[in-house]
Amino acid sequence: MSHILLAALTLLAPAPPARPAAPVAVVTGGDLHVGDGTVVKNATVLMRDGKFAAVGGPELAASAPADATRVDATGKVVTPGLIAADNQLGLVEIDLEGSTHDDARSGDHPIRAAYDASRAFHAESSLIQVQAIGGVTTAAVAPAGGLLSGQVAWVDLVHGDHRGALSKAGVAIDGNLGHSYDNSRAAALAKLHEVLTDAQVFRGRKDAYERAQTRPFAAHALDLQALQPALAGQIPLTLSADRASDILAAIDLAKEYKLRLVVVGGSEAWKVAPELAAAKVPVVVQPSRNLPSSFDTLGARLDNAALLAAAGVPVVIAWLDDSHNLRNMTQEAGIAVANGLPWAAALRAITLEPAVAYGQSATHGSVAVGKVANLVVWSGDPLELSSRPTHVFVRGRAIPMVSRQTLLRDRYRSLDKFGSAESTKSTDARPRPDTGAAATTATTAAPPQK
Amino acid sequence: MSSRRPRSPVISGLVLFLACNRGTPPQPPSDDAAPASDVAGRTAAPAVVSDGPPRLFRNAKVMTAAGDIFERADVLVVGGRISAVGPGLAAPDGAVVVDAAGKTITPGIIDTHSHIGVYAAPGLNGHSDGNEASAPNTAYARAEDAYWPQDPQIDRARAGGVTTAQILPGSANLIGGRSVTVRFLPDARSVADVKFPGAPYGLKMACGENPKRVYGDKSGPKTRMGNAAGYRDAFQKAKEYERTWSKYQKDHADWDKNKGKPPPAGKDGQPGKPPDEPQPPARDFGLETLSLVLKGEILVHNHCYRADEMSQMLDLAKAYGFKIRSFHHAVEAYKIADRLAAADTAASIWADWWGFKAEAFDGILENAALLHAAGGRSIIHSDSATGIQRLNHEAAKAMHAGRRIGIDISENDALRWLTANPAWALGIDHEVGTLTPGKRADLVVWSGDPFSVYTRAEQVYIDGEPVFVRGTYEPGTDFELGYNPGAAPPAAVQPVPSNMSAAH
Repeated sequence: MSHILLAALTLLAPAPPARPAAPVAVVTGGDLHVGDGTVVKNATVLMRDGKFAAVGGPELAASAPADATRVDATGKVVTPGLIAADNQLGLVEIDLEGSTHDDARSGDHPIRAAYDASRAFHAESSLIQVQAIGGVTTAAVAPAGGLLSGQVAWVDLVHGDHRGALSKAGVAIDGNLGHSYDNSRAAALAKLHEVLTDAQVFRGRKDAYERAQTRPFAAHALDLQALQPALAGQIPLTLSADRASDILAAIDLAKEYKLRLVVVGGSEAWKVAPELAAAKVPVVVQPSRNLPSSFDTLGARLDNAALLAAAGVPVVIAWLDDSHNLRNMTQEAGIAVANGLPWAAALRAITLEPAVAYGQSATHGSVAVGKVANLVVWSGDPLELSSRPTHVFVRGRAIPMVSRQTLLRDRYRSLDKFGSAESTKSTDARPRPDTGAAATTATTAAPPQK
Repeated sequence: MSSRRPRSPVISGLVLFLACNRGTPPQPPSDDAAPASDVAGRTAAPAVVSDGPPRLFRNAKVMTAAGDIFERADVLVVGGRISAVGPGLAAPDGAVVVDAAGKTITPGIIDTHSHIGVYAAPGLNGHSDGNEASAPNTAYARAEDAYWPQDPQIDRARAGGVTTAQILPGSANLIGGRSVTVRFLPDARSVADVKFPGAPYGLKMACGENPKRVYGDKSGPKTRMGNAAGYRDAFQKAKEYERTWSKYQKDHADWDKNKGKPPPAGKDGQPGKPPDEPQPPARDFGLETLSLVLKGEILVHNHCYRADEMSQMLDLAKAYGFKIRSFHHAVEAYKIADRLAAADTAASIWADWWGFKAEAFDGILENAALLHAAGGRSIIHSDSATGIQRLNHEAAKAMHAGRRIGIDISENDALRWLTANPAWALGIDHEVGTLTPGKRADLVVWSGDPFSVYTRAEQVYIDGEPVFVRGTYEPGTDFELGYNPGAAPPAAVQPVPSNMSAAH
């Protein structure tokens, strides 16, 4: 019995406080896929104060201090941390529970450019660790809904760090084409023109606006202000669009207003690949999407990514379904490879390309000195279903390979403590607590039945 | 490539239609296809199910899902059934020989949970036929009445190696109605062309949030209390319906026995009037379906996420004397793996879906593995027209998650999550699910290891006849004709760096 008590006490004891990882970490011996297509065999990666400090051969390891965190990656594959494009991580905990949603403001105004996802992000969301131990270290967290949904937050997956998780707010303005406004794609485009024009006017006439000497604008001043970096070409406009005609309309819009455009979804992008390549517009695709689910996606096909890449379009691969499984972006990249995308392009599509698309490649997306030290050590091919991360570094620290899911798993790994499987009595014959009969479901204090 | 259609189920002679008879002993009438198996005595299926030529698949890795994995062997198909599996088989006269060197052959994948055909693509109002959400108990509804064989999702599922699927009503209702098990044959003009010969019907039941959400602001149920009350009420009425029919049968049998005898004399000593023939009770199609569940002829498929709720449903089923064949979704199966194993109730689950609703919040990657380890029947299902195209991927993820925590799962085990176990759940395991001589030759030729992300189905066969051959015979439905003019040919597949494939 004593060992049971001991086990119970162990379970009850508070977890020891997490020791902060050493500010220096060094990963040695693995095949490093830098992210830009180059591969360094038997690489050593040195991380200091959250940044990559050096990348080189075995000789580098000696320069690390004695108390550095050391990971031997011999026989393993090392990649930059994966970057999840266009998702609601930290904004939605449970999709069907509205009270857990913080991805949009209520009300039906179509222009919400001022909605800043970084102000709603919840660093303790249970989704964060689930993705992080799957190798995702950065997310482009986007608001949802409306015609212009709001500002995208660039977040490193530091679970529980309310002040620190955010890397940069407002890295993009996110929006939607198709039937996103007035159930009419023509109305949606007209409204976008109106708002972008108003934002241009607003930029030059702020004083007049303050004196109420301007004509009425199609959006609130905060929204018009939020659009300025996009109009100045400093941040991209990420537009969800699937139908080929919508994608062409987006290209035209971007040309007219000198916007940096990123197309999200892009089911029929392969049909307009030459135009996308000429305009250097990146496309964020989810390769498994091949269903004619609507009349906007009749051309959806599994080799969309391959056809786009072959035409010279920058391809970003993402999991665009609900944010609980962003970790499956590796599988999506594998599906793209199975359907013609070169392997190196697929890895690039989940590391460097999303960083470039969101204008964050100076700090993210590849293993280069000075960039944020987000790094994953994989048991094997990161795109293969048999592989998993063995170590994940976010901002230079090895994260605990724990999530709410692993805690649940460990609690139920053995069912002995829960008593007999023979609990299922008929509903009417279930023993009552006040009869003194044994309860059908033993408490954790009850001795194991086996 | 020319393709011969397998014989239609009608030729197989198993679809019987109810005759509203007077001569035969009256039963609670059934218009079912003959039920399978441990359910109620399996009907003998025809020995020949295809008039195509014999086919010999040569030199493949063969994973039978019956225990054997041959690194290099042949599969011989005769009359649409597996004739032999093993190395060095001789080709019979007239056999078509398929060179499968470097390929892997498995049984066709079977999905226990699909709404393809009843929620067809595109997702138009006109295609929304999966939920008869007009009352919380629509046991009288049948998925087969809504199945559209021109759903373009069928073609994509077939190209993913799926040969058979259970098409279920949705989960809006406590009792949604009968499912139908179909084969993804091309060129079908009605559901009758694709119904799995001899497969029993299933009954779709749903626990938890969905019925509450759909009916909470209508007539109810509004809570899980109301859900449970609804199940009890339905099965209580089914018991009473059964009793009414049993009494009628007994009365009729008595009447039949005494039919020839002189009627007893009346009060006045004169010969009495012969008694009237007892008339059958009113027929109720919903209660009839539930009474067939109580008899074990219709298999219960119960959408249920939470462990506590599944436990309660096992209790309820026990109280009413029926079995739940499989829970569906069952994201908390791992919490009651022992109970599911003891009840011999399968769990049809995803590899990794979680969190999209409150009752799905506790999903873990090791769900299938932990149930498997407890001796239960794990099944990987899709409930998705996207997921159904790569159920092999999902099984691979679930297998590797289990292995990582030290659970011994062989490739044969994981393959059975996609083939033999779903066949059992659908009551068709005597016909499909393993590459065993005598079974229907539903099989997939894969480009490589079926558990690799890079592998695709190259050829798919039903009853030994090709239904999909990549690049040469890719059947398409009517719907997509004329769209995507001038589409680019499929992108050529590039080799994966060799140091990658070796680096597991």
